[in-house]
Amino acid sequence: MHHYLIKRIIYLIFTLVIASMFVFVVVNATPGESAEVLARHLYIGLEEIAPPELIAEVSERYDLNKPILQLYLEWIGGILRGDLGYSILFNKPVNRLLMLHLPPTIFLTVVAMVFATTTGLVLGIFSALHQNRILDHIIRVGTIFSVSMPGFWVAVMLILVFSMWFGLTPISGYGGPPYIILPAIALGLHTMASITRIMRTSMLETMNKPFVMFAKAKGLPKRRVIVSHVCKNALLPVLTIIGTSFGTLLAGSVVIETIFSWPGIGAMLMKAISARDFVLIESTIMMVVFMFLIVNFVIDLLYHVIDPRIIYD
Amino acid sequence: MDILEVSELNVAFPTRYGLVRASQNVNFSVKEGEICVLVGETGSGKTVIGQAILHLLPQNAKISGSILYAGEEILSISDQKFSRLRGHEISLVPQNPTDSLDPLMRCGQQIAEVLDICGTSREDQLSRTTSILSDLSFSDPELVAASYPHMLSGGMRQRLTTGIALAASPRLLIADEPTKGFDYTARKRTVDMFLDLERMGIDSILMITHDLVFAEMIADTAGVLYSGELVEFGPAADVFSSPLHPYTKGLVAALPKNGMTPMPGMSPGLARLPNGCYFHNRCATPCEENSVHPVMRKVCGRFVRCNRC
Repeated sequence: MHHYLIKRIIYLIFTLVIASMFVFVVVNATPGESAEVLARHLYIGLEEIAPPELIAEVSERYDLNKPILQLYLEWIGGILRGDLGYSILFNKPVNRLLMLHLPPTIFLTVVAMVFATTTGLVLGIFSALHQNRILDHIIRVGTIFSVSMPGFWVAVMLILVFSMWFGLTPISGYGGPPYIILPAIALGLHTMASITRIMRTSMLETMNKPFVMFAKAKGLPKRRVIVSHVCKNALLPVLTIIGTSFGTLLAGSVVIETIFSWPGIGAMLMKAISARDFVLIESTIMMVVFMFLIVNFVIDLLYHVIDPRIIYD
Repeated sequence: MDILEVSELNVAFPTRYGLVRASQNVNFSVKEGEICVLVGETGSGKTVIGQAILHLLPQNAKISGSILYAGEEILSISDQKFSRLRGHEISLVPQNPTDSLDPLMRCGQQIAEVLDICGTSREDQLSRTTSILSDLSFSDPELVAASYPHMLSGGMRQRLTTGIALAASPRLLIADEPTKGFDYTARKRTVDMFLDLERMGIDSILMITHDLVFAEMIADTAGVLYSGELVEFGPAADVFSSPLHPYTKGLVAALPKNGMTPMPGMSPGLARLPNGCYFHNRCATPCEENSVHPVMRKVCGRFVRCNRC
């Protein structure tokens, strides 16, 4: 176990280094003259054409002419000292911007994840226990629908139905508990549907295993067979999905936050991308990558807690 | 006294290829204190009989006939009523010990949950679990109770599943192919274990197996199944030493100690059974005409399904 932890942490660091290079290169390769875009966003206005002197001055002031390797090393050096860089667009340290915008995003993602997992598991178990009955069919059609609808469309429909027609929830914004309901559902619906489907299949598969038949033969009541033998075993494949969909949710939150005016990293990232505020984009993405890796690291350890057959060495 | 009496048991499964008649007009009984063995090849409907007794057949199975347990009808009662008998009246030693244990639950807990539904208190569950395990000659019962199934060897897993079946001291034990895939030593150990069960208070056993050598070692009464039908049933010593039905004769002749003479042909598919005798085309001494389906008849103290006997 000890060895495994050390090995996993080395992997984690290795993945972070590779990801940082990749992110840095891809962001710097964004099409369009970055100094020009930045000059228009900062000084003159989006519809104007920046004069060459201004472009030269912007390049000089914000170190855009430096070789990419030097820029990368400076950026990484800063991160290692705990300094994520300085945002040109917002004229603030990236650390402060993330401290401001990351908590709402994490909050939204976690609520969406909890919603997706609990509802998905309950529906999946229910669906499997009522296989081929009418409610099972309704749930299955519902999940196909939820998987195929794009998140932004679901968000707009939710606003239309629950906010405009019924007036039950606020349309958008960031405040008390009612504000989180629609964004969390819009963000988590897709994941909820996949968890439902996988849990249902996994339950049905587990129910045909010999140990379930033996559990019945032992004289255990049906409820006990389901709760203590079927559900636990059926949960294993779902655990992997929960880990990977955390990344999907973090990425999906960019769109959902924009629709609901949620003050997370989503809206900030959109502005940073259009203004070519490279350091802000890179550092924010690295933060997301880091969180994703940590969550999956924890899930891997959870596997060991649930399934004793997995031995780490 | 008969602890189990199966009469005219029919089990069939509707499939795409027609009705598969897995078990037809099966009649036999298990007396209190005896080991009854049903032998038959793969697909002869052995397992289906065990599952029918324990109400473990899939929902699409069509079942008719009657099964009396201690004089009480158990085939037609509801699953809910029957589940009260499972475990502490009739219990099962499953076919495949490895797949029959929950991989995520500690071995001790898998025994204890049987005791739990019988209303044993938590402290007693622990001591009972330990005593059951040491009765099954586990040298370190506490360690076994704390380990997970994948940590045990195949033989230990089998003793463990037997231990689970015995936990609530049932009166009748149904063992489904307990020697499947075992070598000679493992088989010998299993025989000793089953013969030893009497000491633990279990005396009536219905054993289902394809292993004729094992059956001979252990059985008091024996039944031979062919294509879903019982073709011979009687005292084990008689059945194995002087078989009457040509199929039983063929099986006995095919044993290594009797020269390993193979029987020609294959058993007919259960979906397309012929009208007359199912064994006709493989029979060494066939009747001239195969139009009458043979019925079970009493011949020299046992039952045989053959028109010629």
